[in-house]
Amino acid sequence: MARIKIDHTKCTGCRHCEIACSLNHVAGAANPRRARIRVFREGHTYFPTIAGPFVDAACTSKNELVVGDHTYNMCLVCRASCPEKPFFIEAETGFPLKCDFCGIPPSPSCVRWCNSGALELIED
Amino acid sequence: MYGRTGRNLRVNLTENDFTIEESPAKFEEFFLGGRGLGVKVLSDEIEPGIDPLSIDNKIIFVSGPLVGTGAITGASCNVVTKSALSGTIACAKLRGHFGAELKFAGFDMIIVEGKADSPVILSIMDDKINIQPALEYWGRTASETEETFKKSLGDKWAGRETYLVSIGPAGEKLLPLANIINDGFLSVGGAGIGAVMGSKNLKAIAVKGNHTVTVADGNRFVQVVTTLINKLNSAPLTSQSMSSWGSAFFVDLCHQKGILPFKNFQGSHFAEIRGVGAGTMPGAFELRSRGCFACPIACIKKTDVSNPLFKGKGMAPTYLAAGALGYNCGITDMTIIGMANMLCAEMGLDPIAAGGTVATAMELVEKGIVSKDDLKLDLRFGHGDDLLQALTLMATKKGHAKRIGQGAKALTDEYREPKVFMGVRGIPLAPFDPRAIQGMGLHFATSNYGPHHLYAYTFIEEILNVHENLDPWTIEGKPELVKRYQDMTAVMDSLGLCNWPLMGLKFNNFVPMVNSCLGTGYKAEDLLAIGERIWNIERSFNLKTGLDPKYDVLPERFTKEPILDGPAEGQVSRVDEMLPEYYSLRGWNDEGRPDPDKLKDLGLGG
Ligand code: SF4
Ligand code: SF4
Repeated sequence: MARIKIDHTKCTGCRHCEIACSLNHVAGAANPRRARIRVFREGHTYFPTIAGPFVDAACTSKNELVVGDHTYNMCLVCRASCPEKPFFIEAETGFPLKCDFCGIPPSPSCVRWCNSGALELIED
Repeated sequence: MYGRTGRNLRVNLTENDFTIEESPAKFEEFFLGGRGLGVKVLSDEIEPGIDPLSIDNKIIFVSGPLVGTGAITGASCNVVTKSALSGTIACAKLRGHFGAELKFAGFDMIIVEGKADSPVILSIMDDKINIQPALEYWGRTASETEETFKKSLGDKWAGRETYLVSIGPAGEKLLPLANIINDGFLSVGGAGIGAVMGSKNLKAIAVKGNHTVTVADGNRFVQVVTTLINKLNSAPLTSQSMSSWGSAFFVDLCHQKGILPFKNFQGSHFAEIRGVGAGTMPGAFELRSRGCFACPIACIKKTDVSNPLFKGKGMAPTYLAAGALGYNCGITDMTIIGMANMLCAEMGLDPIAAGGTVATAMELVEKGIVSKDDLKLDLRFGHGDDLLQALTLMATKKGHAKRIGQGAKALTDEYREPKVFMGVRGIPLAPFDPRAIQGMGLHFATSNYGPHHLYAYTFIEEILNVHENLDPWTIEGKPELVKRYQDMTAVMDSLGLCNWPLMGLKFNNFVPMVNSCLGTGYKAEDLLAIGERIWNIERSFNLKTGLDPKYDVLPERFTKEPILDGPAEGQVSRVDEMLPEYYSLRGWNDEGRPDPDKLKDLGLGG
């Protein structure tokens, strides 16, 4: 199955992926908040996150993620849209947004515009 | 209305009030947006002769029509005002994400007028516009301001979507050398602007929004952008050099060509500079690439700097920082240069203006014109501690550094040594020795924004030979090159694009991107004609501020004293020989004033 591999160590935080997504879902509309991929900054690291399921409740316990010698809040990489992290919801309609591998196959539009190698299409 | 939001925000700080205006379509047709539009509005609305720090000055933040659309490097927000350093027009380029977020917040332009009674922050957060008191922010560094503001939102996720532009202590103290900072980046060409923001008691502007920027032909635009990304990837300078090192890779190159200035452009001591350049950076820093909004190049390098003053991380030095704060002060230690650069970014000092001032003071001391006791500061070429101390004191206006804080020009005037001032119209020279790169020398002498390389980067043709194979030492064809690059840069700035893609792409390559985005049918010549119009309106404004074209000159050191050693030994700048041809190409008279007919042709008459 084709997947998008994310390497946050390569991400430059340019957010070109967000705009690629936005433009590909509604022709001519550039708006990061319509994107199904968002890039979250924590300190000087960027976490590209691709929209997954929509849930109406936040986790009751918090998880932590250790990368190198840093500890991050797991919500950063979690793909869910939830009350804790209210992203991936279309503002006008309240409609939940989810990644649909948009763009011209084989590469989804975000992978196509990501120039740093942070997003990569892999088969497994 | 494609690319643009069509709305401007006019804020009057005296009245503590704002209005939302529609932007005049005719202006955009004539001036594109960004820099062009900002300059047009400023020159229409202020008297050129006013004191830049008076309540009558205005400061305009304007994002070009390609910003936020996904156009490659469409990130730049221009900040236009009357400069506190030169008294002429200033137009800074903000990198990072502020410009794009301004568009998403629903505005092309913010016009700030008047003066607040006490410090304020202007915040535009999801259509809620607020002029909020900011007394507790006064005195804080740029990163503290950003952090504190984001914390005050009480929502981490909202903080992650918020972008700020602010001034540091230098701007608050009305230092003419003060710059503005956004997203941890010092703006390009922002010397003289920080103080204007400070004079209005405006500490920062914060933006966050949910508006959509509309592209005319979405499908074609996506295709064109994809092609341009691939093109950039096959060009070695943009895909490798800039991506790996940022502009610091110019250091070695400039050193080899004799362009890297040393000790206030005294330019000799060539052998003393060893182990310079990008190659020394991995040893000194841990590098990480960072990109502006929608930038496939990502030339900005983040790094750890072990400065006890500012725990945490900052920017690795760019060429500009390395040249102006380092070599030109006789300092080659990359760690010191990195710290000095970070100090500037935190305090809000412009690295070219501040570095140039320190270098000037160092020369005055070296020559025995100024004594150490006089300045109550040690200022010796090559001493990193002296540099760091001077920068800190200068920014906070402490001790005797107050005097050097007024800038290199004021200092050399005070000691009646104008020949030691290495600048044009009050602004210190960017770190390129104009004797060894003739075209850039001509640009430095004639630039509307003072001797700053990023308003006509002829380096691309004279040294890098990307599209043309020109010899940096000859003057043939240079006036035409300079005019073309000046006009081209005016277009790129006005659209909101960065200069660096020109190292991999031709100007023509951008045209389909512009047209598919804006729904226009421009040809490259049409855009260049707009660039020329912008250059002329800027020139006209500067002339009205009292600028005399006879100051289209370089300091005598460059025209009379040949470079003493190194690869460019014996070279002098031949700017005088190039000027007449440059004026005539521009359609200006022998004195460098635009002919009324020429202005009429450009649509600027009457
Ligand atoms: S392909 Fe998926 S992840 Fe990529 S931009 Fe489109 S929706 Fe988002
Ligand atoms: S396009 Fe790539 S490098 Fe840029 S923010 Fe997205 S994932 Fe990161």
